[in-house]
Amino acid sequence: MRAFTALLANSLRQLLGGRRVILPALMGLLPAAVMAVLLAGQRTGATAGAGRESFHQAPLTILFFIVLPVVSLSFGTGALGDERRDGTLSFILLRPLPRSLVAGAKLLAAWLATLAVVGTGAALMSVLLGLRYSEWETLGPLVLAVALTSLSYVSAFLALGYLTQRAVLIGLVYAFIWESGMTTAVASLATVSLMRIGLSAYAGLVPSAGTYVDDLLGVVQPGAGGAAAKALVIAAVAVASLTALLRRRDVT
Amino acid sequence: MTAPSPSWVAEPTVEVRAVSKWFGQKVAVSDLTCSFGPGVTGLLGPNGAGKTTLLRMLVGLLSPSDGAVTVLGRDPRRSPGVYRSLAMVPEEDAVYGFQTARQFVAYAAALSGAPPAAVERSIAAVALEDAADRPISGFSKGMRQRAKVAAALVNEAPVLVLDEPLNGTDPVQRAHLIAAFRRLGAEGRTVVVSSHVLAEVERMADRVLAIVDGRLAAAGDVAAIRRAMTDIPYRVRLEADDPRRLAAALLESGAVESAAVQGRILTVEAGDLTGLGRSLPPLARSLGVRFTLFEPEDLSLESVFRYLVRGR
Repeated sequence: MRAFTALLANSLRQLLGGRRVILPALMGLLPAAVMAVLLAGQRTGATAGAGRESFHQAPLTILFFIVLPVVSLSFGTGALGDERRDGTLSFILLRPLPRSLVAGAKLLAAWLATLAVVGTGAALMSVLLGLRYSEWETLGPLVLAVALTSLSYVSAFLALGYLTQRAVLIGLVYAFIWESGMTTAVASLATVSLMRIGLSAYAGLVPSAGTYVDDLLGVVQPGAGGAAAKALVIAAVAVASLTALLRRRDVT
Repeated sequence: MTAPSPSWVAEPTVEVRAVSKWFGQKVAVSDLTCSFGPGVTGLLGPNGAGKTTLLRMLVGLLSPSDGAVTVLGRDPRRSPGVYRSLAMVPEEDAVYGFQTARQFVAYAAALSGAPPAAVERSIAAVALEDAADRPISGFSKGMRQRAKVAAALVNEAPVLVLDEPLNGTDPVQRAHLIAAFRRLGAEGRTVVVSSHVLAEVERMADRVLAIVDGRLAAAGDVAAIRRAMTDIPYRVRLEADDPRRLAAALLESGAVESAAVQGRILTVEAGDLTGLGRSLPPLARSLGVRFTLFEPEDLSLESVFRYLVRGR
């Protein structure tokens, strides 16, 4: 437990410390900033419905289509990729630690870092809606949705960062060509979209969101339980794969 | 291993059996068999000889393409538990710049399951107390090396693998680290140290393995390696008041194969060093020549190594 905690704390410090966190942090605040601009543009007598509509359009789309994949990619690939690049991976692997513990701690660190950055921005976005229209039903579900989607994304990107130095490029292609493009254009592919895992949880918990996020979800059914199960399975598969990689792959 | 061999020690803690490693078309280590036991063993070789590849296989960071490596009877690739008894100082700067030296060593202790008290002991072992609370990012190369050594010492592993640990250290730091490695060897730990700086290996190691082009070129103590190279004559420097006369007599007696005179210095090449040492005093006495220096030049590791790599 002491080793896991130390590994987790050091990984979080590595991911969130210094100047490298500035860009993801600014990106994390982008949906809230857009929400603030939209709310400022609404008339004083505007209804809560107008506020909800604004919330579920540009800010939500920016959050799920741009901010979440990019920040998850940055932290997901960095969790092990940075160790490999800096030569510190051997420092960790030359310790009497089960490789599954290393994989688990790294996944948790990348997920918590993403959640800290994007979850804060998402929560702020909901708080702005709540403050203006006393609409608080989105806050918890949105944070949960961010948590589930970011867990799925960092799970996918963690091994990528370990395997290749071009992880960010490959991840960007995946996020924007596959997630934002292919799974939207081809209806049947939506079921294997990582982004839609969180969105389906959100739609399941916020019934009024259905009309707004239906287009984004496509054929995916709303439901928080199923979404959570999917995200956990993806995380478990990621830890198992990474454990196998750490056991077998040479550290050059 | 049934036949005694200088590459094999009596009570090995680390065993390397017929190990090869290739990266694509490039063969880094070729069919290498050796073992390491208590004491300091120097792994010597020019850059690109395969030292780092061998060391990384010893600690399980690389898997052999062929053959087997065991540490204390276990394969480090399959048993992470072996790292309770095995530590390495890698050649690369494997440090976290945002940590202080104390945090770095404490992190190593936490990951290794070592008690917190081990942190101070390890820092003291490399004399880094004064800088322990400074960020490693501000350290010189030599200080980073000492921090890495301290982190490797934290779990008191009986097997220590050190890849070029003296790189970047100043003479004072070097002397301190060499003394520390010798002390660890004297305590009965297996210490494997690689270096391309021959004088350092000579000062540190009781035993030397020389690697050239991924193959074991020689093994044993420096003098033994030199003795084994019977086809290469010894070079001996003599100082005499009449070196020309002495040179002529030595050549005539067959005690030396060649002789060169420069001032009062006579440099000779002899196939039998002991024989030369025996025949020289009576010969000089009979000639009435007084010699004041008898210095074999090539018992140093530098010259042994030069011979080993010559013609490759």
